[in-house]
Amino acid sequence: MNLLDGLLIALQPMHLLWALAGAALGTAVGVLPGVGPAMTVALLLPATFGLEPTSGMILLAGIYYGAMYGGSTTSILFNIPGESATIVTAIEGHAMTRSGRAGTALATAAVGSFVAGTIGTLLIATVGPTLAQLALRMGPAEQFALILLAFAMVTTVLGDQPWLGLASLALGLLIGAVGIDVQSGEARLTFGVPQLLDGIDIIVVAVAFFAVSESLYLAWTGDAAPAALGQGGAVKLTREGWKRSIPAWLRGTALGFPLGAIPAGGAELPTLLSYALEKRLSRHPDEWTPNGPGAIEGVAGPEAANNASAAGTLVPMLALGIPTTATAAVLLVALQQYGLQPGPLLFQNAGDLVWALLASLVVGNAMLLVLNLPLVHWWTRLASIRPAYLHAGILVLATVGTWTLHRSMVDLAVLASLGTLGFIWRVLGCPSVPVVIGAMLGPLAEQHLQRALVVANGDWGQVLRRPGTATLTALALAVAAGALVVRARAARRPA
Amino acid sequence: MRRLLLAVLCVGAPRVGLAQERGDAPLTIVAPAAPGGGWDQLARAMQHTLETEGIARPVLVENIPGAAGTIGLARFVSGRAGDPRSLLVTGLVMVGGIAQNATPVRLEAATPVARLVGEYEAIAVAAASPLKSLGDLLQLLERDVGAVSWGGGSAGGTDQMLVDLVAQARGLDARRTSYVAFAGGGEARGALLGGQVTAGVSGVGELAELAARGLVRILAVSAPARLPGIDAPTLRESGVDVVLVNWRGVMAPPGLRAADRRRLEEEILRMTRTPTWQDELRRRGWQDMTMGADAFGRYLVAEVNRVDRLAQARRGEGAGASRSLPRLPLVLAAVLVVALIAGRRQAPGRISTPQWRPVALIIGAMLVNLLLSERAGFVVGATVLFAATAFAFGERRVSRLLPIAGVFALATFLLFRGALGVALPIGSWWTGVAG
Repeated sequence: MNLLDGLLIALQPMHLLWALAGAALGTAVGVLPGVGPAMTVALLLPATFGLEPTSGMILLAGIYYGAMYGGSTTSILFNIPGESATIVTAIEGHAMTRSGRAGTALATAAVGSFVAGTIGTLLIATVGPTLAQLALRMGPAEQFALILLAFAMVTTVLGDQPWLGLASLALGLLIGAVGIDVQSGEARLTFGVPQLLDGIDIIVVAVAFFAVSESLYLAWTGDAAPAALGQGGAVKLTREGWKRSIPAWLRGTALGFPLGAIPAGGAELPTLLSYALEKRLSRHPDEWTPNGPGAIEGVAGPEAANNASAAGTLVPMLALGIPTTATAAVLLVALQQYGLQPGPLLFQNAGDLVWALLASLVVGNAMLLVLNLPLVHWWTRLASIRPAYLHAGILVLATVGTWTLHRSMVDLAVLASLGTLGFIWRVLGCPSVPVVIGAMLGPLAEQHLQRALVVANGDWGQVLRRPGTATLTALALAVAAGALVVRARAARRPA
Repeated sequence: MRRLLLAVLCVGAPRVGLAQERGDAPLTIVAPAAPGGGWDQLARAMQHTLETEGIARPVLVENIPGAAGTIGLARFVSGRAGDPRSLLVTGLVMVGGIAQNATPVRLEAATPVARLVGEYEAIAVAAASPLKSLGDLLQLLERDVGAVSWGGGSAGGTDQMLVDLVAQARGLDARRTSYVAFAGGGEARGALLGGQVTAGVSGVGELAELAARGLVRILAVSAPARLPGIDAPTLRESGVDVVLVNWRGVMAPPGLRAADRRRLEEEILRMTRTPTWQDELRRRGWQDMTMGADAFGRYLVAEVNRVDRLAQARRGEGAGASRSLPRLPLVLAAVLVVALIAGRRQAPGRISTPQWRPVALIIGAMLVNLLLSERAGFVVGATVLFAATAFAFGERRVSRLLPIAGVFALATFLLFRGALGVALPIGSWWTGVAG
């Protein structure tokens, strides 16, 4: 049996119906604020029990992809990301919504997810086991260097005013430093509030600095009714949209899949790297936020990276049996219910089930596209509600989403405080994207560095001498130096 | 398709109707963790068994996650004092969290009911490791404590406790051990398989799975006797006098009458003897470690003392490589201030007519929402927030605005509570229950 046989089974009409039902359910639940894929799959998992394995897996695959796409939808339309993987999508995606191109953003996200998910699934079948072994070699030291590279790349998103961008990044790192230090267990910046011991959820930071502060800022400028918001925009991708999206999808996939396969990888790094890469390569630098109307590559790349990295996390899960994200952990439980035993011999031993699973993923992904492209039209209408009601709804949904994360009043207080801080920040003229990026990357960088140092028994030299670390660090330095040179040249050029 | 619809309905179906039938208050089990984790699974397995076997009905599960369960404990002890129908899931990890964070509310504040399940720990190395036995590992450790890196779960949890106990049992300074804390079990196992750490520490179940696939070699288990199906000696056999079990159990609130406490204990112990419970244990791979209230109480005291001593030994100067970057916040704050001052000149021009009043209105509404949500409930708080924001954005037709706000808030509430079971606050004014 191979993937083709699996596809033939998955394409039976009954199974297609299951896939459609799954995609619809997943999208419906995943689109709710604060409900990410892990929670959606966990909530809907009981619905798949009692089905025969193939139907169950197809339903599950539909739910999984539906939930991921649902999260992107709220990011693009309302600036409310449902999970950390779609934070980056919100940056250009919501800018496109505000300039009347929500339809285009949703379409490139949907098709990009499909392309990346399908390529990712095919890659699991072909290079999965080999990649799993390679990915394990990425230890804490290499992962820290990878984040250094991300920081170097991020200098492009600091904006036109590098000092203010740096201040924003520092603020984000400061917010990220709140809570128990994972390595030593010491509390930092918690001010005696026990609920802060676990740190501030990155979703709360993103919702506060993106959605809440923007509503406040628009109320402040009295500029709350951008005419374009009323249109929603064309649903289909134009010829130019395709031309600009396709390379971004492919680059996003190339970044997302291998990085997703690294244990402790997650989707934050690949989506961010894809964003920074697209911005660097873009032939339309004037379209990017904060000054432009939003660039399609900034949605296409990160969305593809997100879905490819989701496929990547399936590599260690299937080939080694280790779930590296919350969603993978829930999926693993489900797959074991169907009798699938992950491990190095998975592809030889449990062949039929594996091929059925991979085929289910392809079909579920395709079904999502079938379901969502027509829906895009309806979604964009949501964005064309009158601004007064739109912002009122956004603020209520932001509080609901925040509450849903941990059911904590302290989180709501943090949301209100950071939202207000984010507003002041904008009034001061500082960019908010680096704040969120700092809060996202800071804790990761620190954890990986500390782990690397513990493993090396405190010896910095030993950390930096590892070949992977040395290469990546050199690359990061080169990127940073390159950025400085470009900036200096631009400064010397007469205005 | 019908089955699917049924299943979806079951997920969302309100469970309150059953309460009236029996004329009994529902039993609430507080899981001090997010859905999906070990404590949540225990709470849901209990819910399932108690309801299926007709011992208690209905049974509600409430998740209060955060800080190794200590947030749930604090809320439980203060909000449910004297409540005869509520239980808190607890375990060794919570004891560790209390000791590590030196939290004000300690486990002794709650009333022990029963220990239920537990899992022993195992120490393993990657299959390719040159270390063949625990003796090899100990030899390496005794030559240089810091040179052996141990990968496991979060700092101060069961895995690190085992590493500290092993070091202490061999007369070594636990502060000098190189313990690498990972956020999740999957990450830790990845580091072990990839040879990033010398040895891995985790629950027996997870490592046994990897060992069965030939990926790791288990060197020792922390049980008092060898475990069936696991080809590894105990720590004691290998010359390390340590037994450690990652136990979980349930406690009742403080201030309970003796009769109420006995009733809870009786119900729980009856539950552990049912076939449904035994089936749950088998399915989830848990070891039955049932212990009645009195024995559990004595056991708790001993465990709390042991963990407190470990946490104390870990504190203080001279710790090994595992040191945080304590001045990091200061450095960041300094960078922030310097960059702001340096960038002041770059700030773009001011907006010509800033509108401060709508901003103040919205911020005020967020504060009101914050203060109202727990008391008056989500619907009232969200209505205020919605109405004030729409007003601030120029909607002046109040007669139209208020109904829309109310309907939106109510619809959101019903959607989340009904379809997802996510409890947005009802409000203590209406229910009469604090917290």
